[in-house]
Amino acid sequence: MTWAVEATGLRKTYPAKDGEVEAVRGVDLHVRTGEVFGFLGPNGAGKSTTVRMLTTLLTITGGTASVAGVDVAKDPDGVRRKIGVALQEAGLDPRQTGRELLTLQARLFGNSTAEAKDIAQVQLELVDLVEAGDHRVKGYSGGMKRRLDLASALVHEPEVLFLDEPTTGLDPASRLTIWDEVRRINGHGTTVFLTTQYLEEADQLCDRLAIIDGGRIVLEGTPADLKADLRRRKGLTADPTLDDVFLDATGRTRTKVAGEVAEVQA
Amino acid sequence: MKDTLVLTQRALREALRTPEAVIPTLFIPLFFLVVNVGQAGKIFPGSSTAFLHGQGYAGFQLPSSLLLGASFGSAAMFLVEDIEGGYFDRLRAAPISRIALVLSRLLAESVKALVLTSAMVAISLLFGVRIASGIGGFLLILLLNGSWAVVYAGFMQLIALRTRSGAATQSGGLVFFPLLFLTPSFVPRDMLTRPMEIAASCNPVTYIMEGLRTLVLGDVDWGSVGLAFAVVGGLGVVMLFLNVRMIRSYD
Repeated sequence: MTWAVEATGLRKTYPAKDGEVEAVRGVDLHVRTGEVFGFLGPNGAGKSTTVRMLTTLLTITGGTASVAGVDVAKDPDGVRRKIGVALQEAGLDPRQTGRELLTLQARLFGNSTAEAKDIAQVQLELVDLVEAGDHRVKGYSGGMKRRLDLASALVHEPEVLFLDEPTTGLDPASRLTIWDEVRRINGHGTTVFLTTQYLEEADQLCDRLAIIDGGRIVLEGTPADLKADLRRRKGLTADPTLDDVFLDATGRTRTKVAGEVAEVQA
Repeated sequence: MKDTLVLTQRALREALRTPEAVIPTLFIPLFFLVVNVGQAGKIFPGSSTAFLHGQGYAGFQLPSSLLLGASFGSAAMFLVEDIEGGYFDRLRAAPISRIALVLSRLLAESVKALVLTSAMVAISLLFGVRIASGIGGFLLILLLNGSWAVVYAGFMQLIALRTRSGAATQSGGLVFFPLLFLTPSFVPRDMLTRPMEIAASCNPVTYIMEGLRTLVLGDVDWGSVGLAFAVVGGLGVVMLFLNVRMIRSYD
């Protein structure tokens, strides 16, 4: 079977004052073609570092990874042709218009100017930004920027789309719009690799998910299987939520501190 | 090459849309030209000062101002904005040559320097300056100053890629002031004190300034012009090499 994303023993270390810091400690991943795969974890767990390695933005310290059948370390340009990337920070140039930005992006993927303009128009229509398309990006709202960022990641119809916390900081309406976009993109056969801190989002969108903590994968499966497993193991009478699964897998629990619910280490 | 041109166009569009970043690069060098000529113009009258070749002191000062203007490039600051805003990662995730990522901004900087240099030379004509080497000499001035703009922008871009910090990059720009003042900027090198002459002789900017000066003042010394191009060419190759190495190891 050809996996959309496959990683074995993936590691990333950074130099530090007293030796080195190991941000990712031997991650194994197998993401099926055509699925929406959720990659969850607490802050600093190694989610973004893993995504940045898989998208060729960070060098790999150890292990192997391939995306759409292409080895990330050996053929990074080959990987870049097959992936779309929308990182935590919407990667946009505020001085360009949305249309200019999409046209430029399409040109960087080998299209002629005329082709690139057509692609930009199609993408603007898909993300409902035709009216704003000729305005500079610096005037866009957070939701509009996120939609443009998504469109920018899709100009070359990638096989695998990496979304790193795509809805962080968005209002509920914008978040739902992004969810619809993810479903639409996945409906066209694009594999989606999604990191998020919102467990409801993962529950709604993901076919399967993995939870990373301390640089290691601690749990993997479908949301339904993971919840059923927790219910069985804990002897719960009601279905647990994905929040419960997450807290259990990462060794955290919720407790009331001074009247507020806080998340603490178990 | 196509990627480089596409990204160069984008960098030029960026400059056109931020005139507030470009206008000072014209205003400040002109300010220095006016002030320096005002302070020393009477000490060195054109009629009796041999090294002016019959021109006013403004002709002698013009190369300093041209070099100063070419060293005010904004490429590195725009690059830091791209890095901080995440757009640089979007470009890095595209299947384009890493060289295009650094070369495009340097090319855009050279185009900006050509426009700026032309404007400054045109304005200097109002101060009585004439380009004694003619149209050909003027074109060489454009080429030399444009090349220096690439060298200095390359240096600033190295700081930007290394530190990813706007403050550090801006501080790096201040390095040019000692480089500019450790030159024969007010009098020819042979009139400097001995320690200053040694310092100026060790400073590559000196040779570029002298190349520009001989093209402005006349009595063209092709040896100086050739040396100026050799220095700027050598520095350009070094900067391009270091930029490419830096972007390839950028993590």
